[in-house]
Amino acid sequence: MVSVTQSGTYQSANEAAIDAAALTSGADRAYFEGLAEGEVRLQVCSGCGKHHWPAVFHCPRCGSWDHSWTSVSPAGVIYSWTRTWHSFAGAEAFKPPFVSLVVSMDEVPSVRLLGVLEGDEQKLAIGAPVTGRAHKITVNGTVIPALAWSLA
Amino acid sequence: MQGIAGRIAAVGAGLRQYRRGTSPLPERGVLIGAILDACEDAGLDPSEIDGFASYGDDHNEPVRLMPDLGIKDLRWCSSVFGGGGGGIAGAVGQAAGAILTGQATAVVVYRALVQSNSGRLSEAVMAHHLNSHMIGAGLVSPAQMCAVRANRMFEYYGVPKQTAEDVVRACYYHGANNPAAVTYGKEFSHEAYERSRYIAEPFHLQDCSRENDGAGALLLVSAERARDLKKKPVYVLGVAQGAARGWGDLLENDDDDQYATVGFKSVAHHLWRQTGLQPADMDVAQIYENFSAQAVASIVDHGFCSWEEAGDFIRFENLIAPGGKLPINTSGGNIGQGFIHGIGMMIECVHQLRGESSNPVPDAKTCLLAGGPGAPIVSSAIFGTKYPD
Repeated sequence: MVSVTQSGTYQSANEAAIDAAALTSGADRAYFEGLAEGEVRLQVCSGCGKHHWPAVFHCPRCGSWDHSWTSVSPAGVIYSWTRTWHSFAGAEAFKPPFVSLVVSMDEVPSVRLLGVLEGDEQKLAIGAPVTGRAHKITVNGTVIPALAWSLA
Repeated sequence: MQGIAGRIAAVGAGLRQYRRGTSPLPERGVLIGAILDACEDAGLDPSEIDGFASYGDDHNEPVRLMPDLGIKDLRWCSSVFGGGGGGIAGAVGQAAGAILTGQATAVVVYRALVQSNSGRLSEAVMAHHLNSHMIGAGLVSPAQMCAVRANRMFEYYGVPKQTAEDVVRACYYHGANNPAAVTYGKEFSHEAYERSRYIAEPFHLQDCSRENDGAGALLLVSAERARDLKKKPVYVLGVAQGAARGWGDLLENDDDDQYATVGFKSVAHHLWRQTGLQPADMDVAQIYENFSAQAVASIVDHGFCSWEEAGDFIRFENLIAPGGKLPINTSGGNIGQGFIHGIGMMIECVHQLRGESSNPVPDAKTCLLAGGPGAPIVSSAIFGTKYPD
């Protein structure tokens, strides 16, 4: 379980502290909490069952403000990618050259998630199947739950 | 409803550009200089300026410009949301709106950038969008975000990579003739282009615009007032800004049919509809190229050709003045002339239509300004030499 510590950080069992600020960029705190627990959880509207991504507060289709978060298999296909060679400030967690992926999820193809590619890069191409795992990176002292993908 | 066409005129243009890190003055000082240049160009006393519009998070609040310019009565200040160059043409729309509704009479559209004051532009732009999704994937710069889109365009739509190189080559070609350009006198070399180091695939260094210090200012007044000023007015024929559903700040979840575009689906539609003009009516175009592939997609987005036609249409000989089918970036653009967040391209619209360009397109009557491509909010404008019929 993830719990809020008194210092305002999120503490996951047996894991490094995760900054609260890293866990949300809007309505998607549950996504990062899921990743911190090793799961990919996506937002589903409680009113009409639609997946919204980026996550929303309000469903424009049915008007609901209620949402649930359901786990999906961390598997998908590469939608697009880039291999970064330049050392950009803020990407110090990764050693260039490294590959970033946009992945369309198998269970919900309309949802694309981001992450880095680890391991063999030979079959890197749009449409190639990948599987993901949750990990944590540290950027400027902030621990961020993230996804690492491997080519099948 | 009465539109913008022909009722607003650009009457003065000023641009001061320096190599990054070599500006002789801090940012506000350079901006004051560019605004004074625009007023001198127009023959309008700077104290008469009563409005300002900008974009891309410019740090220079208009009220701080008042003392140096001697402004008597500040009546309008606005900026288009977003950190990128997507709002550049939208700022012209804001200025036009202010003048047409009687809220101001002489409005300066401006952008200033001096690194020692505002830091690296690329980082400032990204500060708007960065979140843990992107940082967690190592995607922290505009170059990488645009690279991901470009790969989809090349690989999925089969657009030849040669189109991007030809855009760069056209920018160099025009810049080589422009004494104010960073590529003045320099020749484009295919070998050097391919040899330049990778930044983020598919982009080599030469696919990327590089930041300059400097400032640009465009002075807008009503068409009526323009008649009394020094130079031939250049009219604003139309402006559109915004985003269609399925485009925006969507964590790479843009609609499938928009993902490899640069976001002009609705903006281009509104621009052509608003003006009654078509792509074929454009004599010349300034196609904002933050990165080469984004200019290719912008040309497609604005309807000059389809994905399938891109390889045939977006060829060097079609893109250059004086005789190309669509001469683009006739001052050298962001890549060839220099990059002050795109403001140089807006200035070139005016120079080109007055016949003052280093690469004149004979008898050019219309010029498209396609704003920063790929930004969550994009905008475009059309300038022209005369009132539409």
